[in-house]
Amino acid sequence: MDSLLTDIRQNYPANRTQRFLADHSLVPTCQTACPLHMEIREYVDLVAQGKIVESLQVIRSGNPFPSICAYVCTHPCEDACRRDQVDKPVAIRALKRFALEFGGDRLIQAEAETSHIEKVAIVGSGPAGLACAYYLRKFGYPVTIFEAHSELGGMLRVGIPQYRLPREVIDTEVQRLTRMGVEIRTNTPVVSLDLLFDIGYKAIFITIGAHQSLRMRIDGEESPGVIDGATFLREINLGLRPSPGERCAVIGGGNVAFDAARTALRLGAREVRILYRRSRVEMPAGPEEVEQALEEGVEIVFLVAPIKIKREKGRLSVTCIRMELGDPDAGGRCQPVPIEGSEFNEEFDTLITAIGQAPQTPGGFGVRLGRGSTIQVEPGTLATNRPGVFAGGDAVTGPATVVEALAAGRLAASRIDDYLQHRYPLVVKETRESLTGDLLPETVEMVRRIGRVEPPILASEERSKDFEPVELVYDWETATNEARRCLRCGTGAEILSQDRCATCLTCLRICPYHVPYLDAGSTVQIPIDQCQACGTCVAECPAKVIVLRKPHDRRRVTEELEHILKTAAGSKLKPLIVGFCCQYGLFGTGTLASLWRGARAGVWIVPVLCVATVEAEHLLRALEIGAEGVFVAGCGDGCARENTASWIRQRVEKVRKILVQIGLQPERLQTFVSGTLSEDPAQGMDNFIEQVGGLYLASVMMQEVKS
Amino acid sequence: MIVAEQKPLDEISRMIASYERVLILGCGTCMTVCDAGGEREVSFLHNALRVAQSKIGNGIHIFWEYTLKRQCDPEFLELIVERVAEVDAVLSLGCGIGVQAVAERFPELPSLPGVNTSFMGMTRETGVWDERCAACGDCRLEDTAGICPITRCIKGILNGPCAGTKNGKCEANKDMDCAWLLVYERLEKLAQLERMRRYYPPRNFRTIPRPRRIISKTSVDPGEEYG
Ligand SMILES: Cc1cc2nc3c(=O)[nH]c(=O)nc-3n(C[C@H](O)[C@H](O)[C@H](O)COP(=O)(O)OP(=O)(O)OC[C@H]3O[C@@H](n4cnc5c(N)ncnc54)[C@H](O)[C@@H]3O)c2cc1C
Ligand code: SF4
Ligand code: SF4
Repeated sequence: MDSLLTDIRQNYPANRTQRFLADHSLVPTCQTACPLHMEIREYVDLVAQGKIVESLQVIRSGNPFPSICAYVCTHPCEDACRRDQVDKPVAIRALKRFALEFGGDRLIQAEAETSHIEKVAIVGSGPAGLACAYYLRKFGYPVTIFEAHSELGGMLRVGIPQYRLPREVIDTEVQRLTRMGVEIRTNTPVVSLDLLFDIGYKAIFITIGAHQSLRMRIDGEESPGVIDGATFLREINLGLRPSPGERCAVIGGGNVAFDAARTALRLGAREVRILYRRSRVEMPAGPEEVEQALEEGVEIVFLVAPIKIKREKGRLSVTCIRMELGDPDAGGRCQPVPIEGSEFNEEFDTLITAIGQAPQTPGGFGVRLGRGSTIQVEPGTLATNRPGVFAGGDAVTGPATVVEALAAGRLAASRIDDYLQHRYPLVVKETRESLTGDLLPETVEMVRRIGRVEPPILASEERSKDFEPVELVYDWETATNEARRCLRCGTGAEILSQDRCATCLTCLRICPYHVPYLDAGSTVQIPIDQCQACGTCVAECPAKVIVLRKPHDRRRVTEELEHILKTAAGSKLKPLIVGFCCQYGLFGTGTLASLWRGARAGVWIVPVLCVATVEAEHLLRALEIGAEGVFVAGCGDGCARENTASWIRQRVEKVRKILVQIGLQPERLQTFVSGTLSEDPAQGMDNFIEQVGGLYLASVMMQEVKS
Repeated sequence: MIVAEQKPLDEISRMIASYERVLILGCGTCMTVCDAGGEREVSFLHNALRVAQSKIGNGIHIFWEYTLKRQCDPEFLELIVERVAEVDAVLSLGCGIGVQAVAERFPELPSLPGVNTSFMGMTRETGVWDERCAACGDCRLEDTAGICPITRCIKGILNGPCAGTKNGKCEANKDMDCAWLLVYERLEKLAQLERMRRYYPPRNFRTIPRPRRIISKTSVDPGEEYG
């Protein structure tokens, strides 16, 4: 019997098998855009499948502090998300937050062992410094962080307000680092690097950020009541409660300006007005933040700049001038030009300037500085002009983002490792190609629109009272549905060997998105930038030459069936029933969840990418390994694709005909498509189990009669 | 393209009943395109036979599968010599030509037909094929506006239409277009209606000398060479 079950298939040359095993997917645009190159497509898809713990694993493997990114990342991935060409980008950051909260991130422990003796000093404990410390510990180096402030985290701690990033989140990550054995020296501003080398450090990473606020250079800027945004936020974040008075002005249009304005509201200011010298289009602050500030009551005045400040009777009299936009400069940004004679006066209690910051590098560091007082480094290695001294983060780039700082920290750790091991920098190259190119209008038209759902936020009246986190987490169902919006870019179908393609044109005719085409040389092409990875053509290709690019997608069904064969076939208690189910419906929260009966009922589930990928021979194979009944459950109108069920119905019909010829009852094969059955699918499912049970009993009795 | 249809499973089961080790041999050209015997159908049949075996106990066979690019050229068959040495029969999912090519190459081995080779035709839509040519060896499509009356007229008459044409359909099958009406309409469009008026003497297909052979290489008399 055993030889019957071992599956001897086509025997092809080894190189074909190798090609079959390799990952041929392309790097999607979201991943390319992420400074950390996180495997976004993979973890979003795992969320969509309801595999939250696995999703968290993928997240953790690509980001040292995902919990922080989950709150404040500027998500360049979403800006690059190709779903935007259909409706709106996938809410990647919010999904990460969901995976962390529901995947049990709090319980995860990091560990590290020391395997090197060279000590490394990290100056500054912002995200760049923390990330570098994390990876250096993973590599086995003893690491010390020197931080000027009393607490770790850099701008995460002293810049970003608590209502956007709760402090427990930073604390948890810092605790992990301490457990990993990172030595921490707070209240220790470093003024000279020589000293660090003298006391035995072999390499230094400078990540001192950009904390020096830029000055407006106008009269009266030194008056009491005028404060710069970074200092204002730092004071609050370090526990002071400065009073902004009744009326408060904030100068600038970046995230610091908005954080300062919203913080001022929370400190009791009645009226907070942001003055920005350009218009909405040029404003660098992120749209969510602007939106939320407006909801809370912050007022934004465009095309206005202060030109003079005078302190009178305890208040500030600010002279402003209106601006108009001139011609774009070399960088494409329109320069504001003052309109003559448009000056006007306004009275404020406080004026907060937030027009940018620059790094402030102590002269004793002896590193070469460049434009805007940033530290000059070699881009690929982050090495400064001093041997053994590396630098990264805001100190090198000027004010940037958390995720860029994390990426710099990770890169620095590898380069410091190379340096200490006297290695030529090892560059790990991505071997897969990057996906480029937009979706064609024809493709976009065929992709089903599914609106983006934002995570819930606290009502605006609730918000402006205190520093409670504004954004809440998705619930399970919303998250899985949002994650299903991902187009899985770059994982689509490919013709594994053009040589075996019979050019039958089946794929071209049946692709719901009209992706495959015949090129001028009469060769069928499946452009990967258009393919929606539904897998319909894979199951329909009569030459079996089309495969999905991810090995997991390709081998999944076979492997799952083998697994069932090994684990379930032995037990003869219940008749075995194998169900092929949409991986998103059954384990997520779709209606299909109601079909789940568990292995105890004898029902084993093979999750599939889409029921359109279930091949007729898979159904037969399930019967062969011992299933008494086989069903396919897919989503009807709830599916992200059009009309997938019609394909599986055809294949089921084909197999049923064969069953009749074999002498088996065709009822052993069922399709359940949610949303289209007149009867409740769960009821139908129970009936099916019962029916199969009956058929099984009958066949057992028949056999006993025979023997 | 040659169009065929896989034989019913019971017929196949009966054919292979007395052979233990069977190679299911697919064909990567016409049989793949017409969904009768490409790699997918080979695999499907393989699975079906195994289910029959495990569920019903339909004999004990060991199956192998392999799909050649083409079965109708002897060189391709060399690729399976080793495999064939281990089997008791080859179940060819090639067209009738493939089955015979296998039989010719492996004289000591039974070569069994897994498909019913049906006609030469073209794809109408996915999964639907129509007959178009009878390989009569004397093509008249120039006169019939590119529509073959031998295959497309049920009666195969050479001087149509007959009196059975009604509303553009054929009296023998109301779902079928009358081929001769199609010929007429197309000739009209081409302004060649005069071709309808010609008389074509009936042809006796039985007199076609079978099997036919075509030689495309030009024979050269060695004696005529210079030198
Ligand atoms: C108000 C505000 C809001 C922001 N919001 C966001 C956001 O929502 N999303 C986002 O991605 N980015 C945001 N950013 C930017 C982000 O915080 C920074 O880009 C990031 O923190 C830079 O990291 P870093 O490690 O380079 O430096 P920092 O985080 O600036 O850390 C530098 C650390 O070095 C310490 N230090 C400096 N000099 C010395 C010395 N001589 N010795 C010892 N220690 C020293 C400092 O005290 C500080 O702790 C925001 C910034 C601000 C100011
Ligand atoms: S649709 Fe998915 S894979 Fe494509 S860019 Fe967006 S998140 Fe990435
Ligand atoms: S996988 Fe789907 S979208 Fe891609 S080519 Fe095949 S049928 Fe078209």
